[in-house]
Amino acid sequence: MDDLLADFIAETREMLEASGGEIVAWEADPDDRARIDAIFRFVHTVKGNCGFFDFPRLAALSHAAEDALADCRAGRREPNRALVSAVLAIIDRIAAMVDAIEAGEDFPEADDAALIAALDAAPEAADAAANPRHPPASVLVERGEDGGGWATRRSDSFSAQRTIRLPVELLDRVMSGVSDMVLARNDLAHRLRQAGNQPTIDGPFERLSAILAGVRDAITRMRMQRIETLFGALPRLVRDLSAELGKQVMVDLDGGDVELDREMIETIRDPLTHLIRNAIDHGIEAPAARLAAGKREIGLLAIAARQSGNTIAIVIRDDGRGLDEERIAAKAIATGLITPAERAAMSRDKLVNLIFEPGFSTAEAVSAVSGRGVGLDVVRQNLEKVGGSIKVSSVPGEGTQFTLQIPLTLSIIAGLTVEVGTQRFAIPQGYIEEIVQASPAALELTRMGESALITFRGKRIRCLMLAEVLGIAGSDAHGDLTLVLLRLASGDLFALVVERIHSHGDLVVKPLAPAVMKSGLYAGSTLLDDGQPVLLLDVTNIAALHELVADGRSRVLERQDEDAAGPLAAAPRAMLFTDFAGRRMAVRLELVQRIETAVAAAIDRSAPRPRVVIDGRILPLVGLPDTPLIADKLRLLRLGDGTCELLYAVRTVEDAVELTEALVAVPEDPLIEAMTLVGGQPVALIDAHELFARHGEAPLPAHRPRCALPDSDWARTILAPLVTAAGYDIVACDSTESDVVTILPEDVFEAAAALGRMPAGPVIRLRDHPDAGGSKDTIYRYDRDGLLAALAAARQGRLAGGLRP
Amino acid sequence: MSELLVIIQIAGRRCALTAHDVKSVIEIGAITPVPRAPDFIAGITALRSQTLTVIDCRRALGFGAQDAPTDGRAAVVASGGHSYALLVDAIEDITTATGAAGQVPGGFGPEWSRVARGMIETMAGPALLIDLAALIAGPEAARAESEAAA
Repeated sequence: MDDLLADFIAETREMLEASGGEIVAWEADPDDRARIDAIFRFVHTVKGNCGFFDFPRLAALSHAAEDALADCRAGRREPNRALVSAVLAIIDRIAAMVDAIEAGEDFPEADDAALIAALDAAPEAADAAANPRHPPASVLVERGEDGGGWATRRSDSFSAQRTIRLPVELLDRVMSGVSDMVLARNDLAHRLRQAGNQPTIDGPFERLSAILAGVRDAITRMRMQRIETLFGALPRLVRDLSAELGKQVMVDLDGGDVELDREMIETIRDPLTHLIRNAIDHGIEAPAARLAAGKREIGLLAIAARQSGNTIAIVIRDDGRGLDEERIAAKAIATGLITPAERAAMSRDKLVNLIFEPGFSTAEAVSAVSGRGVGLDVVRQNLEKVGGSIKVSSVPGEGTQFTLQIPLTLSIIAGLTVEVGTQRFAIPQGYIEEIVQASPAALELTRMGESALITFRGKRIRCLMLAEVLGIAGSDAHGDLTLVLLRLASGDLFALVVERIHSHGDLVVKPLAPAVMKSGLYAGSTLLDDGQPVLLLDVTNIAALHELVADGRSRVLERQDEDAAGPLAAAPRAMLFTDFAGRRMAVRLELVQRIETAVAAAIDRSAPRPRVVIDGRILPLVGLPDTPLIADKLRLLRLGDGTCELLYAVRTVEDAVELTEALVAVPEDPLIEAMTLVGGQPVALIDAHELFARHGEAPLPAHRPRCALPDSDWARTILAPLVTAAGYDIVACDSTESDVVTILPEDVFEAAAALGRMPAGPVIRLRDHPDAGGSKDTIYRYDRDGLLAALAAARQGRLAGGLRP
Repeated sequence: MSELLVIIQIAGRRCALTAHDVKSVIEIGAITPVPRAPDFIAGITALRSQTLTVIDCRRALGFGAQDAPTDGRAAVVASGGHSYALLVDAIEDITTATGAAGQVPGGFGPEWSRVARGMIETMAGPALLIDLAALIAGPEAARAESEAAA
């Protein structure tokens, strides 16, 4: 909290100093739009910052000034000297309050309301040439006091400062000087070794080395700061903002260990805060609206930082309502940014990026939190000032993603050196998810057309061969593969095959010449300890060149990954496999419940239709070869239409694919719905309707027929299993419901008939002797076929009365 | 006009670089190749803590690779905030210009015209004054320009 507060005070004071000139210029010319904008941004930022510190008086003052200035910007009000004075009075009061906050003192009660009222009163007092309450602004700024009578404590607090500011170039020079010293030391060490042991020199040399290492460490730290220092304040900010706005937001931070220039951290602090405010205020919906849209009540705000050579990508993603394309278009046309004709030709992607244009805002209600769209144009301006960029992509109803790219003039990152061919390359540690060494078979390395896939932890992952990416001759792959699993800032995962892993270490990344950068494969270069230069791979760009990044729909988190894979995919998805006849087939992915592996012993081929036992259930099996099985295990696709299931035997399961090519109907083969192309190869898509009509088991009825049995041991142990197998549930023998089939021994039946207590439903009478004797309507109790036929008939209602006397 | 010039040989021709552009002359050590980079980029090499992009000047002019003898030295130059090592046939001398750069009737030929600022008279005889930025941009840039112009 103290850190945050110190930052706030430092920032506000810095802005006050910077805007000193603006204020003077504005007073000289109240109509100067540029000055109004600059001062407006100042009070806007103060207002925003007050939002998460508890400074109600500061917030009220800055909000009032912002409102008045916003009216001027929008042309609803003409700025005049009186208004200028009123705004200046507020800025001075803000400065005084900030001083009091820093000194930890309570600010003396003063009449803030009068200052605020002066803003509104200003139009009426417009012609009052000299405002009696205030000396000219220049005096205010220079002397740091105003007509109110309280002096600021600025001079006191300045002496308390414990830090100094240095130009970054100076640090750069020191840094490169130290790097040169290290290399000179290495050279000297080499020569000393050649010259043999010289105790009088070795001692001091060791000392020099130790000191140099310490200096290098300190210099490095001087400039670098973990982005964590910036991220650290965010959970609190998110919490406070969401509470204020009545929303529930969970924040997910990733990449806090990325280090970057202190200066850069300061540069992105405001933009990041602005974007987070925007996301919570405008992006993430209220809990009730989220539930109504079928989302989780708690919104997700994911912020991830990744470093790639001399850029850092920061992705801020919310899963809110997304940007409203139509409203942005309407606003852009209304404000004259684009013409309707341009609008018609514009892609959604281009259109949504108009939100960074100056003066653009779609928020209809002005709130204390995010305000009037001053944020985004300032965000872009600040980033562009340091050579960075920002873009936005958004899917309606799914969320919005801001991607910030920030350059690094100089950076030290943790990296991994890998070898391919005879050359070494470096990969930034931040991307590396895991390093895997395994045989191609264990990874199920498969070549699908030009691309390769591996299966890792049950997921199919695109796999790139580094030697192929770079177009260099790798040594022949034999034995185990060495894979580096890389996760991009967008959340996409892919694998890179290398030949050897060398070492981890801190790499000082230097920019490369433009002609080399143009290849798009490298982000920079770095020197190894032996002075050999190595190229740093640009992981993001390599992925993009191979179309591994789902831009615009990129996911920061796995969970969203699953959401996106659902009904949103436009193209039908299918499971690709090769059947036992060697044909490449596909079946719609929705039908595939699971991929099973069955042992050959579980397959029963005695009946005309083969069956297989899976999970204790006997299910129909299709697709088996006519010849006996050779393998002792079998891959099966478990297909289901919702009520019944069947299994499809396949030789190999390949992959789940999207069917993007046209489906061509095949009328001559009823089992094939269509032919299509996958990766340039023909594939037959199975007609699920025909398949289930032919082979699907009739679904079990919701209510199984019921049967009442005689109350005897014989009935319970011998008769009951047969009746159950025929599909009946056993119920108590005194049931009176008419849909219950009753099985009675002949003698009991006769007694019941004599007493007039016949069961309500159909009755099957059993006799003890094989010979029918006189009663034709009875069945011998070990006549299995007769019993089953009678039970089947009863089930279909044909027995009703048929066996009755 | 007493501008200092570094006289070098590229593809058997005598050329001049303004001495102001040349930071140093180094013995070129191991060059790390850069896969998939244009072929006039021989690779990168380290000079103390700096990384230099090594430009093969013959290829940068658009000539094919010939196994021409080189003296193993390279001129280190800076352009656009980056440092380059120019791999040339030979580095001959440092001398002073005795006149301003001028054109010769009939030009220097297509490859040379792109990188030539003109002919310059020096104490050591005439030389072709090289436009460093054009040399470093490589033959592709020239092609792209002519296509854009067409």
